[in-house]
Amino acid sequence: MKNLFCAVMLISSVSQAFGLEQKEAKVGEDLVFLKKSALAIDQHIAAFYRRQNLPVPEVTDDATYLRRAFLVAIGRIPTSEEALAFLEMDDDAKREELVQHLIKSQGYSSHMTNWAFDLLRLRDNQPGGQANNEPYRNWVRSAMDSNMTWNEFVTRLVSSSGNGWDPKTAAVGYYTIDRGMPLDNLSNTMRIFLGSRMECAQCHDDPFGKTERKDFYHLAAFTNGQYDQNEEYMSKLWTELEKDQEERSEEYRFAQLFRNRIFGMSLGGGGAGRIELPSDYQYRDGSPGEMVGAKTPFGKTVRMSERKDDSDGREQFADWIVTRTGEQFSAIIANRMWKRVMGKGIYDPVDEYIESSKTVHPDLMSFLARLVHELDYDLRAFQQVLMLTRTFQFGTNPNPSRVAGGDDFHGRKIERLSAEQIWDSLITLSSGDPDKMAKRTADNRIYVSNSPVLVGKKDMVQLSNEVLALESEAEVRKYFKDFMATVKSGGTDIKSDDSMMAMSEVKTYGLDSPVRASELPSPAPREHFLYLFGASDRLVVEGSSREPNVGQVLSMMNGYVQRQLVSNNDSHLYKSLEGASSVDEKIRRLYVAILSRAPTGEEMDWMKEEVTAQGEEGYRNIVSALVISSEFLFLQ
Amino acid sequence: MNQILNKLDEPTRRQFMLNAARTYLGVHLFPMLGPSIASAATEGAAKGAKAQHVIYLYMSGGMSHLDTFDPKPKKKEVMGPTKTIPTKADGVELGQYLPKTAEVTDKMCIINSLNSTQGAHEQGSYIMHTSYSLRGTIKHPALGSWVVKLGGRLHPELPGFVAVNSSPELTGGGFFGATFSAAPIGSPDQGLQDSKRFPDVSEEDFGRRLSLADRLNTQFHSRFPNTDVKAYEELYREAISLMNSKDLKAFDLSEEDQATRDLYGPGNFAQGCLLARRLVENDVRFVEVQLGGWDTHYDNFTAVEGRCLEFDQAYAALLTDLDKRGKLKDTLVVVATEFGRTPEINTDHSDGRDHHPGAFSCVLAGGGVKGGVKYGETDSTGGKVKENEVSVQDFNATIAYALGLPYDLVIMSPSKRPFKIADKGTPVTSIFG
Repeated sequence: MKNLFCAVMLISSVSQAFGLEQKEAKVGEDLVFLKKSALAIDQHIAAFYRRQNLPVPEVTDDATYLRRAFLVAIGRIPTSEEALAFLEMDDDAKREELVQHLIKSQGYSSHMTNWAFDLLRLRDNQPGGQANNEPYRNWVRSAMDSNMTWNEFVTRLVSSSGNGWDPKTAAVGYYTIDRGMPLDNLSNTMRIFLGSRMECAQCHDDPFGKTERKDFYHLAAFTNGQYDQNEEYMSKLWTELEKDQEERSEEYRFAQLFRNRIFGMSLGGGGAGRIELPSDYQYRDGSPGEMVGAKTPFGKTVRMSERKDDSDGREQFADWIVTRTGEQFSAIIANRMWKRVMGKGIYDPVDEYIESSKTVHPDLMSFLARLVHELDYDLRAFQQVLMLTRTFQFGTNPNPSRVAGGDDFHGRKIERLSAEQIWDSLITLSSGDPDKMAKRTADNRIYVSNSPVLVGKKDMVQLSNEVLALESEAEVRKYFKDFMATVKSGGTDIKSDDSMMAMSEVKTYGLDSPVRASELPSPAPREHFLYLFGASDRLVVEGSSREPNVGQVLSMMNGYVQRQLVSNNDSHLYKSLEGASSVDEKIRRLYVAILSRAPTGEEMDWMKEEVTAQGEEGYRNIVSALVISSEFLFLQ
Repeated sequence: MNQILNKLDEPTRRQFMLNAARTYLGVHLFPMLGPSIASAATEGAAKGAKAQHVIYLYMSGGMSHLDTFDPKPKKKEVMGPTKTIPTKADGVELGQYLPKTAEVTDKMCIINSLNSTQGAHEQGSYIMHTSYSLRGTIKHPALGSWVVKLGGRLHPELPGFVAVNSSPELTGGGFFGATFSAAPIGSPDQGLQDSKRFPDVSEEDFGRRLSLADRLNTQFHSRFPNTDVKAYEELYREAISLMNSKDLKAFDLSEEDQATRDLYGPGNFAQGCLLARRLVENDVRFVEVQLGGWDTHYDNFTAVEGRCLEFDQAYAALLTDLDKRGKLKDTLVVVATEFGRTPEINTDHSDGRDHHPGAFSCVLAGGGVKGGVKYGETDSTGGKVKENEVSVQDFNATIAYALGLPYDLVIMSPSKRPFKIADKGTPVTSIFG
């Protein structure tokens, strides 16, 4: 341990000496700045209360705060060890320290991953398609893990091109998951990153808004021309084999791999910057088939020519989104993060942009937009600021918000946990801290007809990079032939590579595995606990639901909760009872583990009666009752 | 005590559970029918309404009307490789991918003149399911929730509204509350998951758990008198009454013989249709079954053929089976989708078709609807409605009309805003026999 520590120190001092690390500490690491910003937010909120002649809400108690902080920052309840450590600590700064600890922990990125997957509609596979989104999934997961800044994240998604398997370029999944529907993809881009709703203008001038159909096509010009990289080198070979598939079925299967999983997962070109108006274009300002050049609808105008195809439309578009839309890009993400942390957006829906000056809280909203910019779009640091506010610590208010479509800032609104929060909390009870489990890894093995080949010798990243680097149809044909021969010979001509062998170990999890929702297949199938509790099917943007239904209640009483937790003697929860000497102590431990608090005197009496009446079975009854109680399901 | 209980016969065990539930949760034994609003206001409701139930088959993603229910055989450039086939109904042709449906077309009323204002999936599916546009500020109840609200439940314990393979956002009770949300079925083979007591748990312990939870919840609810919190309390009552129902086997497909299961075919949609039939036979009001994958931007013809393979046999089997059992006359079977697909074939996307809300098709059968007919017409390319346009709201009003529900009755939301089952829609009455 000590050696390891020394090694880390050594590396960091070496890299500092050679200037390998950024000289200035990131502003997001500057705790003084973060606290100052939190205070500024509280001052805005306090000014609001003064204007309204309302008392500022009280700060909530430690137990409620603890559970809230865990669920908001890392998406699960604390383990009983974590809960006790916090509750028994006598330190004025303990809330601040807890925030610092949580936001830097593994669980933070897991929780953010669920959010990103919902936002990006990230499914492991496309319904009916052969392409696979795992490399893209893995790219997004890693971006959350490394806390990639939001402006870089968006830029890399929107400007992506290249090989879908290579971790450097796997962000192309952003486009390839929407193959065949680039216009829908564009509407979603405008919606999720800028809060600009343009779906209507895809087909007609928006009667209520400012967007005309032509504006939409001007915008679509930036990303127009999304095709497979070098697709022309493969298309003839594919057509031949497709026609002839009965006799040459083996070759056909190899061709499927090349066409669907190598070429088909890549993205060529870079955005043409021009597009034809559609055949049903109905307005006087253009005619069907007319070529229009790229032009942005608001912000600082960026244009591209309609006269020739260009190759950097996606880059120009990404740059416009991130740097040339005024406060819009910052304000949208700031409000989204506010909703994540505080429970309600400053305005809602969070994907319909309102100029900060026109919101209910103009000063606060523009402060937040500036702050996210000043923090260099470090979303982790931004959420840390929000969690450091007194506003985050307000007591719970059971009443619905009095402001339609947003927060009335009168205490924390009580809200059911998301499906992922419930799942991640249940596995914490059944198996202990889930962040100690290994993360899922991407399956980069080469599959021909559903069986992996050349395992430990070659993987998809290597294969696809080689194939996409070929420079003519003849080269592809030759490579294809040689590759088939290599596979058939079992790859004897490839030298075994230890690093490749190690890489080929794939970690995936089955549906009932007690691991974080972020590591399970996406989306959860329809019969899964997560789906039942409203996890998104990831077909539409942020499609998750917190609607109660009778199936959820049945599941809590008789299903997964019973099987994995209450009736499971190996539950982590029951292990935590070991060494408890008295009935009181056991009941207290169960309460801390499940509800993160000690029982009240009255509750203790009820629970003791239960144990007296039912003996050992009584503890199970207590566990079941506590988990199915509303207090477990709701965030206070 | 456990041993004693285990020796008891089934009715006594049931009685014990009910008593336990009543003692602990205050569940009442009288049927949870709730007052039917329909009796209060009948203006606008059909006098001779025949339907009691709805089976709503939702084709999610936007079903191509051109390749299924509104083919244009004279327009090669519109049809691409899709051919048409004759059907059992004179003058009605279908796309070639629906051979079994063609055998039951005499029971169907095909509406070719649907028109929606929404061309994106989320908004389009939402308006089909609720009659209202998607808003950030209110959740509208789904059609199934409206039917249960206006018409009441028919079975005291089974849910009024069940959704198979559907999305909770489209089958929720909205401002009517969670008790009007659909009971969700993920996999028809598994039925209503977890509806039986876990084998390790004795009835007594089960009752004790509920009793403890109820005490905790009462405390929590008094601290947080919030509608969502309250909803779970009500759902526990629902769930217990459901668990006790002798008709719970309505959800159990293993009660069906193999021949019947084969008649519908394999897959979640097909078996979901069979489950829907079982459920309406057991007095469930409204069953939605979803079939996804109709968003055929890319390689439309291969994709539509694949979807039709899932749909065709199951749909034909459902109509035939319901008819044979005498249930088709009081069950309205609906085929719906959010929009159609463009007559233009997009060669850039391997012959795909894009969204087309301007004209599309839905189908009604049973529940007093005339069979073997078409209603409304599109132009020669299927791009525009030429005759008898039916809006989404008119379509939903027609469903309400078939059930004899007051489609013009105004219900106030908790926020005191007026809503109707089909907004401003008016029913198409001429299709009823």
